[in-house]
Amino acid sequence: MDISPILNGFGVVLEPTNLLYCLVGVIIGMLIGVLPGLGPGATIAILLPITYGIDPVSAIIMLAGIFYGAQYGGTITSVLLRLPGEASSVVTVFDGFALARQGRAGTALGIAAIGSFVGGTVSIIGLTVLAPVVAGFALDFGPPEYAALGILGVLLVSAIGNGNRLKAVIAACVGLLIATVGRDTFTGAERFTFDSLNLAEGIDFIPIAMGLFGLSEILYNIEERHNQVHSPAKVGNVWPSRKDLGQAKGAIGRGSLIGFLLGVLPGGGAVLSSLAAYAVEKRRAKQPERFGRGAVEGVAAPETANNAAATSSFIPLLTLGIPANATMALIFGALLIQGIQPGPQLVTEHPDVFWGVINSMYIGNILLLIMSIPMVGVFVRILRVRPAILAPITVLITLLGAYTVRNQVYDIFLVIGFGVLGYLMKKFGFEPGPLVLAFVLGSMIESSARQSLLIFGGDPAGFLTRPISGTVLAVVVIVAAWPLIRKALPRKKPAAVPGDSDRVEEKTP
Amino acid sequence: MPRYRTIPRRVLMGVLGATAAITLTACGGVKTTSSGGGDGEYPTGNIEFSVGASAGGSTDLITRALAQGIGKELGVSAPVINKPGANGALNAKELQAAKPDGYKIAVQNASLFTITPLTVSPEEATKIEDFDVITGISRDDYVMATSAESGYKSIDDLKKAGKTIRYGTTGVGTGAQLASALTFKSAGIESTAVPFDGGAPALTALLGNQVDVSTMQIGEGIENIKAGKLVPLAVFSAERIPYLPDVKTAKEQGYEVQVTQYRFLTAPKGTPENVKTRLLDAAKKTFATPEYKQFNEQNSLTPMEISPEEVLKALQSDTATYKEQLNEFGISLTG
Repeated sequence: MDISPILNGFGVVLEPTNLLYCLVGVIIGMLIGVLPGLGPGATIAILLPITYGIDPVSAIIMLAGIFYGAQYGGTITSVLLRLPGEASSVVTVFDGFALARQGRAGTALGIAAIGSFVGGTVSIIGLTVLAPVVAGFALDFGPPEYAALGILGVLLVSAIGNGNRLKAVIAACVGLLIATVGRDTFTGAERFTFDSLNLAEGIDFIPIAMGLFGLSEILYNIEERHNQVHSPAKVGNVWPSRKDLGQAKGAIGRGSLIGFLLGVLPGGGAVLSSLAAYAVEKRRAKQPERFGRGAVEGVAAPETANNAAATSSFIPLLTLGIPANATMALIFGALLIQGIQPGPQLVTEHPDVFWGVINSMYIGNILLLIMSIPMVGVFVRILRVRPAILAPITVLITLLGAYTVRNQVYDIFLVIGFGVLGYLMKKFGFEPGPLVLAFVLGSMIESSARQSLLIFGGDPAGFLTRPISGTVLAVVVIVAAWPLIRKALPRKKPAAVPGDSDRVEEKTP
Repeated sequence: MPRYRTIPRRVLMGVLGATAAITLTACGGVKTTSSGGGDGEYPTGNIEFSVGASAGGSTDLITRALAQGIGKELGVSAPVINKPGANGALNAKELQAAKPDGYKIAVQNASLFTITPLTVSPEEATKIEDFDVITGISRDDYVMATSAESGYKSIDDLKKAGKTIRYGTTGVGTGAQLASALTFKSAGIESTAVPFDGGAPALTALLGNQVDVSTMQIGEGIENIKAGKLVPLAVFSAERIPYLPDVKTAKEQGYEVQVTQYRFLTAPKGTPENVKTRLLDAAKKTFATPEYKQFNEQNSLTPMEISPEEVLKALQSDTATYKEQLNEFGISLTG
């Protein structure tokens, strides 16, 4: 391939103004990433008019910086406050928050920053070298493939839970049920909307995640504190040790690959990638029971994967003109305003924009890594704040965050409702993770499956005869049957193993 | 949290405010006559534009372009607030209940008044009578396209194919669905609709050959059409569209199907005349700016800057035509 446009792209990025816009973008992105609710989409929308006046390349470099900068920032609240700002960081909460409670928040954030940097960079290299090839791969994924992937995802959800399998399945079913709320996109029929226009478009991810994770944790802690003296969480090391890095190495490598590949798929790619990366690590681990209680790999894998996915989600936009998510739609809009139509011709018509944006991501990722190192120390100090002060502030952030998504007071009540639900779930030993993830995957499975059947003319055999969906479904069967297969095969270790792990799991709240 | 949240907006207001202050002094003298002895000079505060869709869609981008211009003309800030939900009906209900003082206005879609009522219960349908229309804005036309490999070049080619055509739409109750359903039914082509959640997935499915044809807004497909990856089969406007001058209308091909999306600026019912005049003047000035014209071109939008009466007439006749045609061909959009 001709390498000179790529090098020219670096020239563009290294112009001082563009470097500055890149820096401004990643700083804004990191800050808004910390705030749940106010996502990169809303921020880019607010900043859009400012970009009218600046050079197209600089504008897009800044907006892209906001997008991937937010991915870095989002980790911070997930780890420290158990508030996942996006569906793709839900999985990070499990081990990240557990590490923070053990006084190892610095380790979690440090690993996440390194993983994000590696994942992002690997993905940019992939973008530079493989963009056109991978774009074609994205098009091979039609509704049947998404349906199959979604089913695999739900199966992985039940595998990543750490408690009782049955309870995880029940929680996942509730999540699937909540996903059906709203006006049916195929027939316009109202489902569980109780004549409320607020429910017509279904329930948003943010109020559910904020309530089930953030608010429920606070409610639960208030009760805990009545029973025992609760000291502020101790804050130990600030940077991950050599041992931690060694442990996370493999997870970061595999997470980069998984994230890059799944991130190319428009729609649920980022969520699936974080989920898949986590599940792979847990499967590979010698002691899978460490997961959910502060395994370093449990933070490294999903954080690496979701950053890699965020980067590769630029591929459909830059090469096909398809915005993969809401934020990409805004960047699409910003490019249009600048007189640039993203699509197959972008790379030849506007090589400066194409390569400028891609190369700015190399720089942006380095800037983010450099910024993260001192920031970790600062943010970790949040945990030193007394719970009596931290808890109300967190509640305020949570409620405001939920409000900013749609500017509806209704969503605040939703958060409170889900907060109470999350509290009750915790009391009865249910985990919120499976519910939230199943909720995210539920609508994807339903609409993809129904679209597939329309395409197949009602014949479900089509799922099996298409090569990709057929393969994915075969994997589903293998994963589902794996416990049985394993039981049937060696028979060396008697029933003690599952019984033992069950006992350990029940001890943790 | 509140600190971070307001920073960008405050910066923005500062920028807008500064430019607005200059424009205000420039054109203030000309316009005071039009306020017609009302109580105080409108506007004295921010004018909030609400959008019944998420940030990034056509309605959102149009609102932002318009809000920026109107805010500048009137010398106030014009923040844009996204209130997505129920296809824009949620935002409409809120606007309807707002005080009719011109400080809360919204760009709304024709389809919410002409097509959505065909798919929801009568109580839920939004009625244009509940709003004051200030001005028409622009048209956003639909194009039916197929992938280059399919070999189809016109609607008749689809007919000759002699198989069930699977077509992607941008969702139930959208103009894309209505236009395709009417075309296939009147051409006697066997077809199955595959609804997607918006234009991007419908385009993806078409590029990946998951469906035979897709109907989407021109702005969504134009780049792939120009690149030769998609072949346009028909547009659904009365006349050919300047952005795709070689594409025949459905009518030219012998099918009486005209479906179009257009947008207009609305205020709550009972907004004072002088306020409406001020807004209309500011909108007209915005329409005339080169930046706004360029915005229309880049988004493949056709100006439709018509009077409120004409907007009402268009809505009425479209509603009647759609209903009649659906009845004639026995089509139900909610399948």
